[in-house]
Amino acid sequence: MNAKNRNRYDRLATWFFGINGWMGIAILLGIFAMLVYNTIAFFARVSPMDFITNTQWNPGAEGPQGLYGLLPLLISTLLVTFGAMILAVPIGIGTAVFISEYTNPRVKNILKPAVEMLAAIPSVVIGFLGIVIIGPGIAGTFGLSNGLNAMNGAILLAMMALPTIITVAEDALHAVPADLKEASYGLGAGKWTTLYRVAIPAARPGIIAGIMLGMGRAIGETMTVLMATGNALSFPSGFFDSVRTITATIAIELGEVPHQTTHYYGLFALALVLFLITLAINSIADRISHRIRQYH
Amino acid sequence: MPAGDTCRNMISRGLIFLLLLLPACTERGGILRIKGSDTEVNLSVLLCEAFYEKNPEMRISVSGGGTGLGIAALMNNLADIANASRPINGEESTLLANAGLPIDTFLFAWDALAFVVHQDLPVDTLSIEQLAAIFSGNSDNWSKLGLPAKPITIYGRQNNSGTHGYLRQRLGIVFSSAAREMNGNAQIIESVKQDASGIGYVGAGYVVQEGKLTGTGYKILHIKEGQAPASSPVRVESVTTGSYPFRRPLYQYIRREAREKAAPLLEFQRSAKGAAIIRANGYFPYQDTLS
Repeated sequence: MNAKNRNRYDRLATWFFGINGWMGIAILLGIFAMLVYNTIAFFARVSPMDFITNTQWNPGAEGPQGLYGLLPLLISTLLVTFGAMILAVPIGIGTAVFISEYTNPRVKNILKPAVEMLAAIPSVVIGFLGIVIIGPGIAGTFGLSNGLNAMNGAILLAMMALPTIITVAEDALHAVPADLKEASYGLGAGKWTTLYRVAIPAARPGIIAGIMLGMGRAIGETMTVLMATGNALSFPSGFFDSVRTITATIAIELGEVPHQTTHYYGLFALALVLFLITLAINSIADRISHRIRQYH
Repeated sequence: MPAGDTCRNMISRGLIFLLLLLPACTERGGILRIKGSDTEVNLSVLLCEAFYEKNPEMRISVSGGGTGLGIAALMNNLADIANASRPINGEESTLLANAGLPIDTFLFAWDALAFVVHQDLPVDTLSIEQLAAIFSGNSDNWSKLGLPAKPITIYGRQNNSGTHGYLRQRLGIVFSSAAREMNGNAQIIESVKQDASGIGYVGAGYVVQEGKLTGTGYKILHIKEGQAPASSPVRVESVTTGSYPFRRPLYQYIRREAREKAAPLLEFQRSAKGAAIIRANGYFPYQDTLS
């Protein structure tokens, strides 16, 4: 190969990889621009104050204009997500501690891939479990007429957030330098004390990052909550109420909405809110997880 | 077809870097594109398949996505026919008129709405007034209808579906915001079977076939309007004669430019063979309702 050809190949490769590298950012900015553009069209018709403070989302309401209140949807999303976190955080950290500290490599080699497999279950399958097993289970346990409520969604989302939390938290615990723990043992501390006072605090940024990433997954999840939470429009007042999350609202209504109408643009405004929430969570998680590395 | 649609939609939303995919979407002539209502899509596919057997030179694509999507597709020249389970609304007809696109209306078939409850619920007949009270949320317990006290849970379609809109209009109510909005007919039926005190509504074609229920665990309510005797959509005649109060027209909206291209299909849908297919799927052909 002569010098001229080599140069040409190098230039080509530079271009090729450059385009690939920028593609991700271009797509992100493109989607963001599309959301903002449509949201502006929405706010030209409905005032942002109404969007934030109105307590009802009902675009088909009687009268000149529908009701476009973000609040019940946002509360629904937060209710289901935090419910999921209450369940998933203790179980997730417990599993991570078990895998990293309490078990031998043979069990670990089975357990860790098994946990990761949990992430591979399609969300529609989890939603299906919610309809046929967990929903009726909740209804039976608490004497309700049906189990399509926030609690059902929270349990299912906890199942979906677990793999992320476990994997990231376990990696963080595993990365705690052995000399830290050995120093603790050397001072006469037991296994529990070492874990509680040394290993977990040292791994804390990673554990928190895992929780944030799991939360990001739960907030953005659509199919599962759509199937399992009943999607009633009323303002939720607890875990036994049916809820309608932001994601479910977009998924349900986008199929039937007349395009280029207030309602259509309103769904983009919801999408923008969701995008900003997950963006914030992911960037916090990213910042925290970078903090781990500065110890090494 | 779905792949082609997605890429055209995205481009129209400004994601120009997907231009690379454009060659896949340029084919247009000689195809009849039908889009819209999920209520109609299965029937529409079956009719088009039967039509295609006799007319293999015609290429037809059918997809669902909802009435709103179908009508929007008419506007954006992505469809020739929009299946619609509700009449076109004011906002949409304004947009179509502004775009300078005249459309024709075709009565596709009739659909009846069935009200289903758990098979053990001790109720067989409800009046229109009672239905209105239940679906507006005023009667949220069966005790208000003189039955053993149990909370009523409503299972229905999403609040902007054609079916939901039809029921709301027919009963003249503001719909209860506590109504569960399920993801399709199957889930409504599944929920009613599990909930001993729930009530749901679905297209009759989904639960009745040839005068019999298609499943077990639920029953279909008889509906009473005024002094007339109660009737149920299980009996075909009560729908075709109009004595059952909840029947609604399903439409197809056709772009006038495509009218000529679509004419043979429309003719087939009105033929005896087309009517037989419509009947076999639990809907009611135009002809049957004339008598």
